[in-house]
Amino acid sequence: MDQIYIPKERMPGFELGATVLIKPVLQKAKPKPYYYKVKNLEPIKNTFIAEILNYIDQFDNVIITGSFLEKGFDFEDIDVLLITDKKIGTYSIKYHFEREFGIGIHIIVIGFKSLLKGLNTDPLFQMMLSKFVSKERVIFRIENKIDYKLLDLHLLKSKILIDNFDFLPGEEKYKLTRNLIAIKLFMENEKISTETLNNEIENHFGKGAVRNINENLLDKGFLDKYKNLYDKIFKEILNGIKNDSKQK
Amino acid sequence: MESKMTQNRNKLIDLFIGNIANAVVHKILEQAVEEELLRKYYDKELLNSVEIARRYRAKINPINNILPEKDIEYIKSKVINKVNSELKLRIAKGYKNINLDLVVIIADKMLVDMKVKD
Repeated sequence: MDQIYIPKERMPGFELGATVLIKPVLQKAKPKPYYYKVKNLEPIKNTFIAEILNYIDQFDNVIITGSFLEKGFDFEDIDVLLITDKKIGTYSIKYHFEREFGIGIHIIVIGFKSLLKGLNTDPLFQMMLSKFVSKERVIFRIENKIDYKLLDLHLLKSKILIDNFDFLPGEEKYKLTRNLIAIKLFMENEKISTETLNNEIENHFGKGAVRNINENLLDKGFLDKYKNLYDKIFKEILNGIKNDSKQK
Repeated sequence: MESKMTQNRNKLIDLFIGNIANAVVHKILEQAVEEELLRKYYDKELLNSVEIARRYRAKINPINNILPEKDIEYIKSKVINKVNSELKLRIAKGYKNINLDLVVIIADKMLVDMKVKD
């Protein structure tokens, strides 16, 4: 007969003569995250990633993305994509991380097919997944599919900057400009990532534009350029809608 | 001084109108698009017109009550005209499934939500 040793100071339930159940301790395999285009991440961020991937393990895949993966600590929250076709509540996960680490988590629950479709049709989806860390290795093959009606809707968002130029803070202007430029690059079949977007913003609006937009140091010259670009893209989209409707 | 305040109020009302109109156009186009709108999954980042309209409304007196009848009529007709012209531009280019009957319904609902009218 094999023997099992327990500490002299017995825990409740381990009194002499008590019936106990012996079970093996199942240690969870530590996830080995897959890093796509993420370099030189601060060690503390890697710790968070490990915690997240370890805690959320009941989905097809878990993808961490967004500004959290950029250099520095200038992020509002951590974007986490849970890949599943099931409908699930996310409150307890969010609550857990907010309580444990004091960090906000923005959870997006999406099926893999929808994710692929979003990647093929929406420039901002492409930006979001241009850099990520995932639980399982995943490779996205992106083929831009131009749906002019969808692009029209996406572009409409950037009209906000024109109508409210004097009243918007720099950060919001930057996001709206990025949306506009993302649509431009998408229509030109270019790759979309934070870097390519920022480069194109600088190309179009001049050197230092990214910083100037964020710090709201803009003049009417910027607005004129923005309007011209907006009108040009809108015109192309309308022509696209016209051609599509002729073909149908 | 009073004239400056009136000017500011008028400016705020015009900005409010622009954003509500944009939001109504967005809502109607959303319904016209055949594809599922996947962007809803992560749209938290991008500011929307409703949110901005709400910011302006919070600065237009009376803040806690509906607006005077004269303002309501002005705002409503301006919003409807703006939305119709945006949508007709698209219809002229062959955009299908745009339901113009929804303009008044959605605009009305938004104006009620914003406490512009009852």
